[in-house]
Amino acid sequence: MNAFRYDGSTEGMFSAIDHILRNEFDPAAVSLARQGLSLFDEGVFLPTDTARASTLLRRFSAAFPENAREVMYCVFSEKEGLETALLHYMHMVSLHGSGIGAYLTHPVVHDVHVLARKVAREAHRLKGLLRFSMLADGSYLARMEPDFNIIQPLSSFFTRRLRTQDWFICDVRRGLVSRWDGKRLEYGTLESFRTPELAEEERDVRRCWKTFFDTIAIPERKNDRLQKSFMPMKYWKYLVEKE
Amino acid sequence: MDTLEKLRILSGSARYDASCSSSGSSRNGGEGTLGNACSGGICHSWSDDGRCISLLKVLFSNDCRYDCAYCVNRSSNPVPRASFDVDELVGLVVKFYRRNYIEGLFLSSAVMKSPDDTMERMVNVVRKLRRDERFFGYVHLKVIPGCSPHLLRQAGLFADRLSVNIELPSEASLNILAPQKKREAILEPMAFLGSAIGESRRERRRDRRAERFSPAGQSTQMIIGASPESDYQILSLSQGLYRKMNLKRVYYSAYVPVNEDNRLPVLATPPLLREHRLYQADWLLRNYGFSADEILSEEHPQLDEKLDPKAAWALRHPEFFPVDVNCADYAMLLRIPGLGVTSARRIVSARRFAPVTPEGLKKIGVVMKRARYFITCSGKPVERLFDRPAMIRDRLLLAENLPSATPLKQRQLNLF
Ligand code: SF4
Repeated sequence: MNAFRYDGSTEGMFSAIDHILRNEFDPAAVSLARQGLSLFDEGVFLPTDTARASTLLRRFSAAFPENAREVMYCVFSEKEGLETALLHYMHMVSLHGSGIGAYLTHPVVHDVHVLARKVAREAHRLKGLLRFSMLADGSYLARMEPDFNIIQPLSSFFTRRLRTQDWFICDVRRGLVSRWDGKRLEYGTLESFRTPELAEEERDVRRCWKTFFDTIAIPERKNDRLQKSFMPMKYWKYLVEKE
Repeated sequence: MDTLEKLRILSGSARYDASCSSSGSSRNGGEGTLGNACSGGICHSWSDDGRCISLLKVLFSNDCRYDCAYCVNRSSNPVPRASFDVDELVGLVVKFYRRNYIEGLFLSSAVMKSPDDTMERMVNVVRKLRRDERFFGYVHLKVIPGCSPHLLRQAGLFADRLSVNIELPSEASLNILAPQKKREAILEPMAFLGSAIGESRRERRRDRRAERFSPAGQSTQMIIGASPESDYQILSLSQGLYRKMNLKRVYYSAYVPVNEDNRLPVLATPPLLREHRLYQADWLLRNYGFSADEILSEEHPQLDEKLDPKAAWALRHPEFFPVDVNCADYAMLLRIPGLGVTSARRIVSARRFAPVTPEGLKKIGVVMKRARYFITCSGKPVERLFDRPAMIRDRLLLAENLPSATPLKQRQLNLF
């Protein structure tokens, strides 16, 4: 099996995939991994070419939007060692068309699908569980610590939903921030985080929400287990109602 | 009284309403509008009883003129009373929505001065949300039985979903437990909505810009266990509602005793397992092509509490099994226990590439611990027990790991 290496960045991975899809006789027999720290890494190193990577992504998304979505969700998973699976998946799709995505009993299709679903599930969950707080200057801030790197799909969701307010979404552990000012969405990194001043109405609104949350449950039907299975405790840290 | 106190009273008395879903409607505002509605629905939290919270579920008022036996808010109960102001409630919805606490509003109400007077205030809330706040989130309005058609018409133009609660599965029970509510006051609005919804759908097929009337359809709720109707009667009623009234969903709400009243049964705990089985059976009606007569009959009027209704049906009908997953049609796949709509669709797609094996079925997401007794893969059985339904039943019961099933079952035995 031919082995290739890349620098570990997302652009690096897609430029390597592009190179392999174009030049290798049988991409299905090729493996791809990030370059390790060892000097004795096996495989040919493929340099990162940002333009090449974005052309591949643009073409692939235009031709196979559903499959491209799965590929991107896999990338958001930040899971180690899935490059080869993504390479083989994109190869299969470009060879047989988007319909191959339904071949769920095939190991490559299955793995990509399962991982993408896991990430999509967390993104969907946070669409509901993300909590915005109003800051003193009238903008809103939401903090989160998701398992996967899903700030991108979440931010584009909220640009549609909360388009008339200024907001920030902050992935606390990864130090990533997105910002919407009513017109544009920007991404950046966060060097340090000062807890900002909250707006005056914020405390009252939170108390109202907590009151609602506490009174809406029927005491005779209390069921912690069920609650936790839908709303795992790892998300409670930023939930107003679970403060 | 401040908003917080009103919220406590008016959400506390709305909690017995079962429906909460926000699905079935998509709305996208343009420039300058607040929010959208997603057709799949989004849950924002889960309450301590494990039910999903997607909407701000409140009553507009709990100050009721009527005296329904099963209701906390009946006029003869000495409970604190409150009513929102229209602006107050609108403000609350917007504040919650901007913080992403909710998908929208679920608004119901006790009957204040008259059905029309109450309904009018509720319609004002939605009108204000849509017109002044340019709010595009989800709104579910409960119809006050007996209100006039012109209010229904307005409600339908502003809300995503409307519902009229049936509350009790028969007219006789209604007369005993909710004597001020008349059957016609429930069925007439329901029929009105059914035809208005159908009409607006047809209109919109011809012209995309035609007005939408209650785009997420109408639903209803029934209280389970406050009156003596059997599961068979309940499911037959639901089936009728789906077919004749064009209903989207029927919600079942296990009766929670809140009043002492000798017209009501004495229950130690709400019949939650029965509610769960009814939801499963209802699912079979709506999504799996079953009819009420296949699931139950006059001779067997109650659902089996231990077994999910599809498995129970399969055990009664060994003549349909085993089903070969590589050649059965979609409708038949749907009837295999352990297979859902998604896995049935996936099987149909996957077998175009290669025959599906037991391994593959697992990958597709089939619940093999249930399906294994009912299928073959290209002629090869997974389990050779087809001719021994009693044994399959035992194994299924063993495999069924409903965590709370045992204590509930025991508690339920002394209820009926
Ligand atoms: S009409 Fe009946 S069910 Fe509705 S709030 Fe009044 S007493 Fe309760």
